[in-house]
Amino acid sequence: MTSAPQPPGVLGTAWLTAAQTLQAVVRVRRVVTLLLLVLGYAAVTFLLGNRAKEGMDLRVLYCTLAWWLVGTAILPFASMYFGVQAVHGDIEDRTSCYLFVRPIDRTGLLLGKWAAAAVLAVVTTCLTTAAPFFALAAQPGGWGDGVDMAALRTFVLAFALGAVAYVSVAVLFGALFRRPLVWSALFVVGLQMVTGNLPVSAGLRRLTITDPMRRLVLDGIEPDQRLTQLLWPAERRIGFDQIGQPVCDLLVLTCVTLLLAIWRYRRAEYDSRARD
Amino acid sequence: MRPDDALAPVLAFERVTRWYGHVVALMDVSFEVGREVVGLVGQNGVGKSTLMKLAAGLLRPSQGQVRVCGRDATTRAARSEVGYCPDFEALPEGCSGAHYVTNLLRYHGHGARSAAERARAVLQELGLGQHLDRSIGEYSKGMRQRVRLAQALAHEPRFVLLDEPMTGLDPVARSELAVTIRALPARGIGVLVSSHVLHELESVVDRVVLVHQGRLLASGRIGELRRLVPELPQRVRLVAARQRELAACLLQLPQVVAVNLTDRDQELQVTVQQPREFLRELTRLGASGSFVIEAVQMMDDNLASVFGHLVG
Repeated sequence: MTSAPQPPGVLGTAWLTAAQTLQAVVRVRRVVTLLLLVLGYAAVTFLLGNRAKEGMDLRVLYCTLAWWLVGTAILPFASMYFGVQAVHGDIEDRTSCYLFVRPIDRTGLLLGKWAAAAVLAVVTTCLTTAAPFFALAAQPGGWGDGVDMAALRTFVLAFALGAVAYVSVAVLFGALFRRPLVWSALFVVGLQMVTGNLPVSAGLRRLTITDPMRRLVLDGIEPDQRLTQLLWPAERRIGFDQIGQPVCDLLVLTCVTLLLAIWRYRRAEYDSRARD
Repeated sequence: MRPDDALAPVLAFERVTRWYGHVVALMDVSFEVGREVVGLVGQNGVGKSTLMKLAAGLLRPSQGQVRVCGRDATTRAARSEVGYCPDFEALPEGCSGAHYVTNLLRYHGHGARSAAERARAVLQELGLGQHLDRSIGEYSKGMRQRVRLAQALAHEPRFVLLDEPMTGLDPVARSELAVTIRALPARGIGVLVSSHVLHELESVVDRVVLVHQGRLLASGRIGELRRLVPELPQRVRLVAARQRELAACLLQLPQVVAVNLTDRDQELQVTVQQPREFLRELTRLGASGSFVIEAVQMMDDNLASVFGHLVG
């Protein structure tokens, strides 16, 4: 006699959901498009480095590009998009009801979607952070003190943690709002790009993801005065005693937003008719 | 299935009320569904889909209780007993029907292989055998409907909710779906099905639940409901020789309200009150040998006329 199959628990559901979400999203055409974009970005960076290396240390160029292009534009927008789509996409197209009628806990569903979006965001971020680095590293003469692998490690770590934090916020928005992409855009532009760049004296910036991410970067790359000003124009005299605990700050933010998202996702009815 | 399970209701609404803000969608609704096919009938916006979602555990009642197989409908244990086919077409476009049903079956605890085998078997049973691995984006409306039905049936639930399952299907697909639905109670599955196509629902259901403006208007077998409204005049079609003489004779009966001669030869249409008494009189008339009545057909003994009369 065979026993009836038992529905998975929270972790089992999360694993299944993450795998199924990634399977649905990762298509050959999309991967090829992403790789082509990254290669194009690397090629442009290579040309830029080739022209700039006479008057500028390529380390400074890489750090500036990585921070302003990836850290404050590609990373937040891509992560927020992945997070929102993972949670809100099937609510919007109404296919979520096929999942909500299954004998599983919604906590597992949400964690799975979060994990899948986080993987996508981290991979995208790592590719867009590493590609320009290697494009510039191909011109070793332009690096004052030699190619700085530590800078790459620092940016990858900071951006990976930042991507996970952004995805958590996006997941919360996806569970909370009817127009999460609009709220995400406001969040990135209003809170990350504006508030996050306020000087140290503005305590409000500590509520952002940009701030701990930048403190982590500054701590890792140990910039000179010029690079510090390039990375944080509003703050001219950052002291290393002001670095604080950026990893801890990012983890707290990630956990708090994720818990709020789970609380909301478990309780909400997401009635498709009411949304019409 | 335990012997006592056969009689236990698979769905029970106990004085259920549901509000959306200040709008009352359902008011004090109570009924039960056993291992039978029950039709849910009502106009647009009277609360049919709300009722379906409450039964599926997607919504919580504002008051009262919804129980599936004796358990609160919103619990995981209850959800493992329910199959839900919603009233909208949405399905993920990028994957195949077999892949999608397999994915959903995994949430019921099936391993990858057993889920895939079960999904393919159910889709094959529903006539999608040739298209198992085609992308859902390429499916026709009828094929999508079968995928939605398959995901509701694949985990072998004890109770299935079908919200407007006939919508958008061609006549052949409708008739096949009706046969599929009719076969479910024999497998121990209770069904609650809603539809606007009343005559099709009529051929499928054992009982109906009539909902109007958020309230349960009536429930029971169609014949029983018809008897609940004896004052409703009913049309009877008769085929007999000497139709004009018969019409004059019928007009003498107290139950007859009107007699119409139709264009067809030997046919007349009689509007009557108290149809049982009328049929008794008609039998007496036939037995006396005065008239040869070849056919009698009750034209309004159907769901549409009962529903139309009840909701005005």
